[in-house]
Amino acid sequence: MQTEFDRYKKEADFVAFKTIHERTRDFGVRDGKPDSLSEFDDQGLLIEVMRNGHMGYSATCETTPEGIKQAFAQAIAMTDASSKYPVFKFDKQIRPGSKGKYQTETKKSLDSLSLAAVYDYLKKTSLALKTSDQIISTSSDAMIITCKQKYLSSAGADFEQSFDIVINSMSATAQKGSETQTRSLHGGRGNCRQVGAEHFQLDSALRECDSISREAIELLSAENCPSETCDLILAPDQMLLQIHESIGHPLELDRILGDERNFAGWSFVQPQDFGTLKYGSPLMNIVFDPTVSDELASYGFDEIGNPAQRKYLIQNGILKAGLGSLESQMRSGLSGVANARSSSWNRAPIDRMANINLEGGDLTLDEMISKVENGVIMFSNKSWSIDDYRRKFQFGCEYGKKIENGKLTKTLKNPNYRGVTVPFWNNLVGLTKPDSVETYGSPYCGKGEPSQIIRVGHSSPYALFKNIEVFGGG
Amino acid sequence: MKTDILSYFKKFSAASFSLLESNEDLAMNLHSEESDFIRFSQSKVRQNTTVQQHEVTLQYQKDQRVYRIKFNLTLDFEQDTAKVKSVLSQLRIELPQTDPSPQFVPIVNNGSSETFKKAERPSTADVIAIIGSTFTDADLAGLWCSGPLRQASVNSKGQFHYFETDYFFFDYSIYDGPRAAKSFYAEDSWNLKNFIEIAQQAKNTLALLKKPSLKIQPGQYKTYLGPMAVAEVLGLFNWRALSQSSFKQGFAPLKKLAEKETLMSDKFTLVENLNLGYSTPFNSLGEIGPKELVLIKNGHLDNLLTSTATATEYKLESNYADPSESMRSPEVKPGHLKEQDALKNLGTGLYLSNLHYINWSDIQTARITGMTRFACFWVENGEIQGPIQDMRFDDSLFNLFGKNLIDLTETQHVYTDTATYLKRSLGAMKVPGMLLQAMNFTL
Repeated sequence: MQTEFDRYKKEADFVAFKTIHERTRDFGVRDGKPDSLSEFDDQGLLIEVMRNGHMGYSATCETTPEGIKQAFAQAIAMTDASSKYPVFKFDKQIRPGSKGKYQTETKKSLDSLSLAAVYDYLKKTSLALKTSDQIISTSSDAMIITCKQKYLSSAGADFEQSFDIVINSMSATAQKGSETQTRSLHGGRGNCRQVGAEHFQLDSALRECDSISREAIELLSAENCPSETCDLILAPDQMLLQIHESIGHPLELDRILGDERNFAGWSFVQPQDFGTLKYGSPLMNIVFDPTVSDELASYGFDEIGNPAQRKYLIQNGILKAGLGSLESQMRSGLSGVANARSSSWNRAPIDRMANINLEGGDLTLDEMISKVENGVIMFSNKSWSIDDYRRKFQFGCEYGKKIENGKLTKTLKNPNYRGVTVPFWNNLVGLTKPDSVETYGSPYCGKGEPSQIIRVGHSSPYALFKNIEVFGGG
Repeated sequence: MKTDILSYFKKFSAASFSLLESNEDLAMNLHSEESDFIRFSQSKVRQNTTVQQHEVTLQYQKDQRVYRIKFNLTLDFEQDTAKVKSVLSQLRIELPQTDPSPQFVPIVNNGSSETFKKAERPSTADVIAIIGSTFTDADLAGLWCSGPLRQASVNSKGQFHYFETDYFFFDYSIYDGPRAAKSFYAEDSWNLKNFIEIAQQAKNTLALLKKPSLKIQPGQYKTYLGPMAVAEVLGLFNWRALSQSSFKQGFAPLKKLAEKETLMSDKFTLVENLNLGYSTPFNSLGEIGPKELVLIKNGHLDNLLTSTATATEYKLESNYADPSESMRSPEVKPGHLKEQDALKNLGTGLYLSNLHYINWSDIQTARITGMTRFACFWVENGEIQGPIQDMRFDDSLFNLFGKNLIDLTETQHVYTDTATYLKRSLGAMKVPGMLLQAMNFTL
């Protein structure tokens, strides 16, 4: 790539070449038999050019000299046409000349995993989930991803990043009469992180299978979650969605600037809210942190070369900073973070979440439960919906327990809750200790025109909220 | 000089098939696009991206085992065929160590076809200037997308289906502060007069929103869903609700309909209608199914989408659904309501142009939740009183398309698929508006 980059690096006010080579092995076993065995070996080049203060992009998988020549010519032509109608005239400060390397810390390379080894793991776990005739379907899936990025720019940037990722899910569906219930390992694809082949520990996975299967069957005879306003404890594998939808997205500066209005939506957060808005209770401390070693969206630089740094977005309940890249920071004059990210070589970078984490508090889970006279605890997300300003949400979980007089009592099926973002977070009254924090994420955060799916990480303790509207199915 | 993709793909696929050993079969899918994406914000260009993407998926089959591998063609013949050689070598060692697939479908020759379509349009540079000048008086956000898109399904048994189209759409909304009107322009051939007329309609809608916004309390309201709102709800039917495979695995929101425990309205008919012409006539296996497949007929479930793989696994009859078992070209049949009389027939209630972020809230009762979005009004005695503040609904498909469905409009609207996750999507849906006796709002 260096030779091709050198050929074009002086042909515009700014030029950058980014190559991405990502291999995703996606294996699924259902009821002990192959469901889908597939692989995506994705490779291509994104060219960035600046003309007249406007950034434009051309992407190609034709990584031959002729293909790159055509892509570069298209980048120049379309950027020239677009630069007559720019949203904003940027300068070169939006593309730092960063140099360095980032690599996921692993104990054993993912490349050491053969199809046979992963298949065997998935088959054994899929079969272990079938503990009863009431279990009508079991699934065990793994996505094993290795991704290599390289970025060269006329500003002197030269950095490489290498990511190793495992997304591992298991689920069991139980049925009795007209009742059907599914229980999974932390909800859908929530169980995901940067890790090596050491992730696959069969003994612990088989213990998880037993618990998943038992709870799926338990739900068949459970009562529906009652409809009432009460205390609510959310487990970390539901908090991941709560953080994602009601904190992450509304704090994206490109949403606040209006770029996403036609697709994902706008935001209730206004530029003047930073530094003043009481987003939540004083217990609420939210950090943007791509520097954590094993979370799904950890990196050394964002995709335009801004070095990753940990930063408080919300501190003691007060909104401090937004999720805005160097471009959004220049447009808005607001403080931001290193979060210009793209889904692959064929999409331009936009403001995205990375790891957005809620810090722990001072309670044990038992102490938290003991504080609840009447409430519900909910585990594992299964349904999500929120408005385009990120105010009114409704989430559903797989599994719930009633809390009465400080003790867990009966199991509840179809636990759902709804609320409005700022009042909800201001009703946060308790968090479990930092050592109880669990780390999950989502490989499927959607946004952008053209649209992009990106990986995000979220860690959280258990969280207790007062006066929340909960309800069940039916 | 640009490479002719069809010629290259013919040469590449033939070379790939020649590498096979006895007892091996290979199917191959192509998705190739040359796309211009122009993203607008504040009626100006936020980002321009051109994309050259030529993705092939190899489906390798041997001894009842199946493996799919997808990669991008570089259009360097030596490099691309070397990739296939490497993949085959790897699979010959690794795949035998897995078990036979219960969904195994032998590769067969489903025939050959070549289809070419092209929508005439100005150059993208000209479009940028037209959009800039048409919306100088508006605050617009949206996406222009145009360019060739090619899909093919070929295999080592001689099948060769190829579909090439070149189309455009402009998906946008315009704003007056927080108030917004959604619009969409796509045609078989660009027509500036139509483009400007549709833009003016959006501006007229936005003007209606200038009245003070009204806060509506949760409850049940008589509701008119405009065609774009209906299209959003229809998206939920495509979220596994009509998939035979999902149904068999316990994800079955329409189970009560399938078991005739409940019925939807006799006014509701849903058809997979490939005659709309926006998607390939063949599925990704190259199978050519019926042009029209009735899914729900006058409120009765007639068919679930059943792929040949699912049919094999559960010993059913295939209706040649795509292996994804989602609709590619759905049509909701029209009713008798005149679109221009929608407000009059609504009388007093909610007029909802768009819905947003719909998801299942209780799968077993087909209950869904989502939000109102864009131009949504409170109406009294057929007169718009003002825009409403966004509201959350939570209701069952059995209510919305069942006892509460008063009528559908006699006019249907076609919306081409605007999805661009990973790559552009083909397809469209054709839907009318719907008048409901009641819809349940919760927040």
